[in-house]
Amino acid sequence: MLKHDIVVVGAGLAGQRAALAAARAGHDVALVSKLHPLRSHSGAAQGGINAAVGKEDSVETHIYDTVKGSDYLGDQDAIEFFCQQAGPTVIEMEHFGTIFSRSDDGSLARRAFGGAGFPRTIYAADRTGLALLQGIYEHLGTETIRIYEEWFLLSVVVRDGRVQGITAFDRKTLKVEGIEAKAVILATGPFGRVYGRTTNAHSCTGDGVAAAYRAGAALKDMEFVQFHPTALMESSILITEGARGEGGVLKNVNGERFMARYAPHVLDLASRDVVSRAIVTEVKEGRGFPGGFVHLELMHLGKEKVETRLQEICDFSRTYAGVDPVTEPIPVYPAQHYMMGGISTNMKGEASLIGLYAAGEAACVSIHGANRLGGNSLLETLVFGKQAGLAAAEFVGTAPDPEIRDDDLDKETARIQELWNRSEGESPRALRAELQQTMDQLVGIYRSPEELYRGLRQVRALQERYRNVRVIDRSTTYNIDLTDALEVGNLLALAEVIVVGAIARTESRGAHTRLDYPARDDKNWMKHTLARWTPNGPELSYAPVAYTRWEPKERVY
Amino acid sequence: MFADEKLINVPFDVYRYDASRGGEPRYQHYELRLAPHTPILTGLLRIRDELDPTLSLRYSCRSAICGSCAMLVNSKSRLACHTPVGPEVREHGRIVVDPMRNQPILRDLVVDQQPFWSRYEKMEPHLILDPKHPMPEGRTTPMSPAQVERFKETPRCISCAACFSACPAVEADPAFPGPMALAKLYRFVVDPRDTAQTHRLRTIQTEGLWLCLRCHLCTEACPKDVRPSERIRDLKELAVQAQGGTEAGSRHAIGFLKNIEERGTLNELKLVRQTSGVTGLAASLPQGVRIWRKKPEVTKSPPPIEDLDQVKKIYAALKDEKAEES
Ligand SMILES: Cc1cc2nc3c(=O)[nH]c(=O)nc-3n(C[C@H](O)[C@H](O)[C@H](O)COP(=O)(O)OP(=O)(O)OC[C@H]3O[C@@H](n4cnc5c(N)ncnc54)[C@H](O)[C@@H]3O)c2cc1C
Ligand code: SF4
Ligand code: SF4
Ligand code: FES
Repeated sequence: MLKHDIVVVGAGLAGQRAALAAARAGHDVALVSKLHPLRSHSGAAQGGINAAVGKEDSVETHIYDTVKGSDYLGDQDAIEFFCQQAGPTVIEMEHFGTIFSRSDDGSLARRAFGGAGFPRTIYAADRTGLALLQGIYEHLGTETIRIYEEWFLLSVVVRDGRVQGITAFDRKTLKVEGIEAKAVILATGPFGRVYGRTTNAHSCTGDGVAAAYRAGAALKDMEFVQFHPTALMESSILITEGARGEGGVLKNVNGERFMARYAPHVLDLASRDVVSRAIVTEVKEGRGFPGGFVHLELMHLGKEKVETRLQEICDFSRTYAGVDPVTEPIPVYPAQHYMMGGISTNMKGEASLIGLYAAGEAACVSIHGANRLGGNSLLETLVFGKQAGLAAAEFVGTAPDPEIRDDDLDKETARIQELWNRSEGESPRALRAELQQTMDQLVGIYRSPEELYRGLRQVRALQERYRNVRVIDRSTTYNIDLTDALEVGNLLALAEVIVVGAIARTESRGAHTRLDYPARDDKNWMKHTLARWTPNGPELSYAPVAYTRWEPKERVY
Repeated sequence: MFADEKLINVPFDVYRYDASRGGEPRYQHYELRLAPHTPILTGLLRIRDELDPTLSLRYSCRSAICGSCAMLVNSKSRLACHTPVGPEVREHGRIVVDPMRNQPILRDLVVDQQPFWSRYEKMEPHLILDPKHPMPEGRTTPMSPAQVERFKETPRCISCAACFSACPAVEADPAFPGPMALAKLYRFVVDPRDTAQTHRLRTIQTEGLWLCLRCHLCTEACPKDVRPSERIRDLKELAVQAQGGTEAGSRHAIGFLKNIEERGTLNELKLVRQTSGVTGLAASLPQGVRIWRKKPEVTKSPPPIEDLDQVKKIYAALKDEKAEES
């Protein structure tokens, strides 16, 4: 059996930062990832990372903006800590080697992002995620960490309420192995692929969140799904908020700058939930372009600015939408973008099982509450990745030896074998397509009880059909028919939690908008949703929000 | 915008092979109807959805940022998610898809990237700091926009290995770090925070810098406009400057000889013949490069070198030249 003090699953920004912290504390650390670390989805982040380092800005306003952005569902103690860490975190990443864009005086350049009081978003052109991912990966190379590259997580092994390690397989050989560890840190990123229209990569299937859920850990606030206002039509590839931060404007079919009606003060830079709802309303009320979208205009910014600061955006628009943003408007419509929910943790990254930790988009601390501000999640991966690594390092000093037994492995091998043994059955990709259609149509930006219940029935019917899913490919190397099947199983489990949480929450807050309960209801709903796995579906309970200094107010932009 | 595009018939011939099961590689034919702007990746995923779930490939972001999906598209190293089907069909009548070159094939379009990553790692790809000059405490290192400019486009690199796959020098000499690794090295050499420039430049002098053929095939293949061949040219200049050297040509030969002596590989000699005295793209495109442009045969390993005698002669000639110099 393989064995390490600490196993980190996921090698995006959160996982790598956690591994770095744990290794620096002197522990034997393994980093397991289904993709090469540099291919993690963090690399796709475009716009930037928030830190109130400008003279006119302050940590205090960053805290306030985040609390307000969260629609008062974020835990204020965690948000305070988070914003205080922002400056040191960005400085550390610069010291690790990240190449940021600079101002003339040699300091870090900053741009405006939605929902922020000041230009607070530090960036590297429009590929900030890639710059950070390269910086940390380069730095990680100076530590001794065992990397299990292209290994796929199957399960978190728990016995007597304590984590014993994980089971996983090497994609090259498909041999199921146990990796014993006193502490497991899950940093497996988002699960945007429960939706069809999503900015997330194909690999964002919530494998770690689903494994934690099946192992008995609580998930938090899963009904809060962020839709980004500006994704390309057809491909749903993201056009960063930075495009509006640089001065881009949204227009409807009448050439009207419609955000003036929805957010008279900050217009196009209102919070994401606000802008997304505005676009959907415009299109629904007949002011969209034929085909159902609005325009994002950058032409007035000039060729020079567009081509240097928004280089990737130019390429994406030209390649994937056939428009040149220097001379033409970009057709955009909202798409799923970020999951506020995830594995429930506290500020130290501790989940609800002994020895289990989580960080990054897979986790929910919560600092984003009901709606995340752009630029806050890259920061979250680093701040709380480090926290989880430090906490796990402290924990393993005193933890007993873990043990993975043969039957833990046999169970997983049998699960795979069963997928193979069926001579007929459902295609995992067909099930995935139906799931995505269901979620797009019935569990989107505006939610009605009828649609949510219909969505739940459909998701459960798909879960039922999944019991008969079949893998045709029999190869033991790079069998993506098999990984498709495993991933779809995870997506189905998580979709159910999203819908059940959304049905229960009879209010509108942040990204969760109920047509039948259009107002925020602080009296009954100022609380986190917790969901635990049971054979009959998720069991919900609720936990209080941590307050320090900010009284809930109505959110106006 | 891509509105009202007519669907076209897209014939795919896709390389199939499974190293875990052995057997002969083959091409499999599929046909789809797609809009011309459809990325090849989308086509391959449609094949998996609708026609053949056993086709294997790497992919993730579908937006040219994760670097997973490099492969050969009609013999050229390309990102599948960044190459539309229309122009390929127009030019070639069909789309032949092969795994990348210069990396062992594991299955279908999936290659073992170890050769690529191990060369990258040899570049010491991290900031090397002088303990006497630590980073400024509690603040960032100042860096002007002009200094950021010096990185050129190297920060855009997504490690897709398309350049590595396209590079004839990589195939010919295992000692050649390859375009991406050298572009990465350049990124550290011009970094004002790094303190090991001299060490880096001195090491690379004898570790393969001069094996580059200046054929620019890497730059042609790169989906992110990193222009590795231009950065290699810059590195050569910096290396010569750093050593106060003048005669780049002789360094050429020294670099080669050391290589041949140490590693005794044969393939590289084919290169020597191409490189010595060659300056521009046109001049460096004889024999070797033509092999790369032609439709690849279905083989599990690169074709063997043809001309051993020639190789030995060049080796001898180089030795003589060196003896004369010293
Ligand atoms: C297009 C886009 C743009 C964005 N732009 C911004 C921005 O400008 N600013 C900002 O703050 N945020 C942005 N975000 C959000 C932010 O990028 C993500 O929240 C963050 O990068 C998530 O990082 P992570 O480390 O948690 O996960 P990821 O980077 O997704 O890493 C997940 C890791 O888990 C591994 N993994 C997954 N499943 C398994 C398994 N079964 N077995 C083994 N390993 C597994 C993967 O290989 C990967 O290494 C953006 C998001 C998107 C989609
Ligand atoms: S220019 Fe040099 S590095 Fe680039 S492909 Fe040619 S030989 Fe390789
Ligand atoms: S230099 Fe270009 S082709 Fe080479 S790995 Fe980087 S992005 Fe890919
Ligand atoms: S799928 Fe990420 S680069 Fe093509």
